Amino acid sequence: MNLHYLIVYLVETLLRFIPIPCKTGLIKIGNPDSNSPVILTCNYHLTVEKVRRALDGMDVNLLVANSRGINVWCSAAGGLFTNHDVVSVLKTSGIEEIVDHRNVILPQLAATSIEGNIIQKKTGWKVTWGPVYADDLPHFIKNNFKKTVEMRKVKFSLVQRVEMAVAWAFPITVIMIPIMSIFWSSAVFSLTLLIWFLSFSIFVSFPLYADYLSSEDKRIGIAFFDFSRSGFHLILWGIVVLCLVIYSVLIGDFSWRFIFSWGFISLIVVLILSLDLMGSTPVYKSSLTEDRFLKVALDKNKCNGCGFCEQVCPRNCFEVDRNRHIAAMPEAVRCVQCGACIVQCPFNALYFRSPEGEIILPQTIRKFKLNLMGKRLVKVKEN
Amino acid sequence: MKILESSPGRYDMGIRILTLGRLDGVYDRLTAYIIKGQKVLDIGCGSGALTLRAAQKNAKVKGIDINPLMLEIAQNRANEAGLTQNIELCEMGVAELGSEESESYDVVMSGLCFSELSEDELGFTLKEAKRILKIGGFLLIADEVRPKNIFKRIVNWLIKIPLVIITYLIAQTTTNSVRNLPERVEEAGLQIESVRFNKMGNFIELVARRPEETTK
Ligand SMILES: C[S@@+](CC[C@H](N)C(=O)[O-])C[C@H]1O[C@@H](n2cnc3c(N)ncnc32)[C@H](O)[C@@H]1O
Repeated sequence: MNLHYLIVYLVETLLRFIPIPCKTGLIKIGNPDSNSPVILTCNYHLTVEKVRRALDGMDVNLLVANSRGINVWCSAAGGLFTNHDVVSVLKTSGIEEIVDHRNVILPQLAATSIEGNIIQKKTGWKVTWGPVYADDLPHFIKNNFKKTVEMRKVKFSLVQRVEMAVAWAFPITVIMIPIMSIFWSSAVFSLTLLIWFLSFSIFVSFPLYADYLSSEDKRIGIAFFDFSRSGFHLILWGIVVLCLVIYSVLIGDFSWRFIFSWGFISLIVVLILSLDLMGSTPVYKSSLTEDRFLKVALDKNKCNGCGFCEQVCPRNCFEVDRNRHIAAMPEAVRCVQCGACIVQCPFNALYFRSPEGEIILPQTIRKFKLNLMGKRLVKVKEN
Repeated sequence: MKILESSPGRYDMGIRILTLGRLDGVYDRLTAYIIKGQKVLDIGCGSGALTLRAAQKNAKVKGIDINPLMLEIAQNRANEAGLTQNIELCEMGVAELGSEESESYDVVMSGLCFSELSEDELGFTLKEAKRILKIGGFLLIADEVRPKNIFKRIVNWLIKIPLVIITYLIAQTTTNSVRNLPERVEEAGLQIESVRFNKMGNFIELVARRPEETTK
């Protein structure tokens, strides 16, 4: 691992929630010629660094499109990474003068927003959906641009969980330390430890309680704090308070004041960490958005089993019966309502249905994206 | 000006406040080059400030923009002003200018849009502007630029910091004031007619023409 990458990785993991844009346009990796593959990614700096690292040693043209410095999934779902941005980089980066073919590989997670057929219509470039993770790119290319089932899946691996723990712990520390140093400066160090401990406990232990989480259920929470169904955070908080009691009894200096102040502080930290626990994972829909109640529905009459849905679903919900030419959703429970399947279906055979039976048509999903608060930017009356 | 675009409904008022109403004068001066019956392209037309001015002069205007919400506002304003027959609005980005015919426009204009383009887009747009302009046709630009003078640049920067921070927080982008715009226009093969900076040196009004000698 080279030093430059290590520093970038560390700094930008600490600042994970801040958009960090880099220059858009063409980057040549190795010595690409007129037949070399063209891979497109977003302009979140860390993503570009990761893709470059993954492609090291290959000859590839990398196109960086404007996603406002935000990672692929978030920018695409939030309407900040659009067809226009892809068209723009294809037409203005000069790539058309460099390669003879017109095949571009897009990151699969952009499928919630970018429409392959529109790109093709406007530019003549044919879109292929690449793997979810940059690390799979070399294998994908060598495999003749075919994805394995694994390459299509989002994961919340240990590494990602640690990154997420750091991404939360750092800003909380930065915000709480100055406040703490005014009121109780001697406790600053303990507070820092507490924040990092709680953040790591919550994220690293995620698989232990993940099964109890569900997007559909009413969440246990206060206002916009989200404890999910299991109330896991509250259990963790209870354990912390218990530890505090045991600790103070053991050192033989029991004081209610001590228990109360640390109990209160740890509650605040737990509350902040619960702001959007499910949304911090790629395997659940954020509990802040109303979209989490939606279900993908399939119109069997329109489906002809082309399998685009299967190709872009990051949760492998679909199975296509190639003989009967029809798709099915045997694993619909895993759905995170990203909408990629609906956006990409060439026959408009998929749509969202709300619990009240309201239908949200593909054209609405294509047009209106979620904003930061998880609302569609424009709410239109459905018919 | 990105910050204003995040809520197109308030865009017009916001821009008036931020530019202290001076933009109107600038746009009036630029559109003075347009005459009746001409074919005009407005790049990044937004809510239609330039488009409507040109349509009022009875020119045939095509306004392009990538933001459908802005275009909706422009369309409403065109309807209100009864200028729909002179105005055609299209949701398309500068990258799609390739679909416009060569030598088909008398005027290509753009207000506050070039500063939102990437380096690549800017070069591409200037090249395409030249191609689609008729010989002798005008390119009219009003935009934020980076002051040449280092001192002014620093003052400009200090004034802009709060705005840049708010913009970043809300829209997660910054506008990159265009550098060396007159030089780049010339590089694209257009001939500068007039350039006018404001006192701070951070705003440009530029008029250029597609010269004679470029005919094949
Ligand atoms: C600050 S507004 C200016 C609007 C209008 N010309 C005015 O002066 O009121 C800039 C406009 O440029 C548009 N724009 C940004 N990038 C563009 C691109 N690549 N192609 C076309 N329009 C673009 C934005 O959507 C926005 O509406």
